[in-house]
Amino acid sequence: MLFPLRLLRPTTVAEASGELARLGERARLYAGGAELLPLLRHRLIEADCLIDIKPIPSLNRIAWDGSRVRIGAAVTHRRLETAPVTRERLPLLASAESQVANIRVRNQGTLGGNLCFNDPHSDPATALLVHEATVAVAGAGGERRMALGDFLVGMYATALGPDEILVEVEVPPLPPGWGGAYLRVHRFQRPTVGVAAAAKLRDRRLEGARLAVGCVGPKAQRLGELEARVQGLPGTEAARVIGEAKGYLRGLLQPVDDLLGSADYKLHITSVLLGRALSQALESNVTGSG
Amino acid sequence: MVGEMETQRTFDLALTINGKPWSGKVPVEETLLEFLRDRLRLTGTKRSCESQVCGACTVLVDDQAISACGYLAFEAHGGSVLTIEGLASGNDLDPLQQAFIRNVGSQCGYCTPGQIMAAKALLLENPTPTREEIAEWLSGNICRCGAYPAIAASILEASRQGPGR
Repeated sequence: MLFPLRLLRPTTVAEASGELARLGERARLYAGGAELLPLLRHRLIEADCLIDIKPIPSLNRIAWDGSRVRIGAAVTHRRLETAPVTRERLPLLASAESQVANIRVRNQGTLGGNLCFNDPHSDPATALLVHEATVAVAGAGGERRMALGDFLVGMYATALGPDEILVEVEVPPLPPGWGGAYLRVHRFQRPTVGVAAAAKLRDRRLEGARLAVGCVGPKAQRLGELEARVQGLPGTEAARVIGEAKGYLRGLLQPVDDLLGSADYKLHITSVLLGRALSQALESNVTGSG
Repeated sequence: MVGEMETQRTFDLALTINGKPWSGKVPVEETLLEFLRDRLRLTGTKRSCESQVCGACTVLVDDQAISACGYLAFEAHGGSVLTIEGLASGNDLDPLQQAFIRNVGSQCGYCTPGQIMAAKALLLENPTPTREEIAEWLSGNICRCGAYPAIAASILEASRQGPGR
């Protein structure tokens, strides 16, 4: 049973933001509810008002603007998994979205809700970091944009101000000639480890590589130092370097022992998956067109 | 600036349930599961994990599988809800129901309505799924008795008969 709730259904971002500012923490933005309703049910957060943002038309759009796919915050995982524009231009993201939870959660849960909740055990952020996505947030002070990596502050924490709403996620395709892969290990509904890799070979050496890990640390993160270390190496040599990078991964991600596995287990799986994702990225020629 | 909006505590809901129209007021916080089981006494849809993990409460809203436990009833406004009670046509069981009976696609039966409704959504979208596609689609429907092989066999058999009603 949920406590009694009141409902607001604004039709513009300005209305939603105004109500959020007026009602404060007693009101929560509500999109799919996949993350919010369990928290309310288990009394982990207190709120007595839902601000349903799904009636805001702009938040439901997926559009290609010539250089990026612009995804409204209320677009569901299932739409991202199946929409032609994501499958063609962002196959790495579509693949990650196809692995989120189960078909029911994907039908209901939204990308915006997932990113704003910022549960460390989640798939989309990891794939989006490799795409170098940016987000647009709007509030009383107007609209601002930032890199997704800056939006994801820490475990369950984002850069959103009290009256701000995540409006849109802007996702550029991988550069021409790059391949990508998203791989995960899960024993329960949420992933234990999720990794994304994107890379391009030139003369059999890595011209560039982007690597990201989710679930192991408090938030999804890019592995900038490891990316720099493997640049210029042949693929097999890069896989060896990744396999030997557990110390770096431990320092950056600071994994903990929990029900999903020991810290050592998670680090082992992370380096194995990173190696596999990199080799799949190099084999894949479905990079999406820029 | 934007004026204050009126909040609402109840929702004037109008929808169809298993083909029949229903309208009335529901509290905002009423889940579709509570609406179906407690208000309409449609108890075929089961309550179990209440966290969108187990699939026992799977129903279809506009042909899409959702967890009734984690879905507010007002969201189905204007839509069409299909539950296990609406699958048969009179005494004619849906091909999925027939196949589950023939293949003994259940043991204790508690998860079965959810398994069948999840399978219904799959067959509406993909009438001839492979066994792998069935396993992937139903990975979120848990059977603690472990009847998975018979469940998959039932769905494969039903799919070969073509779509149900």
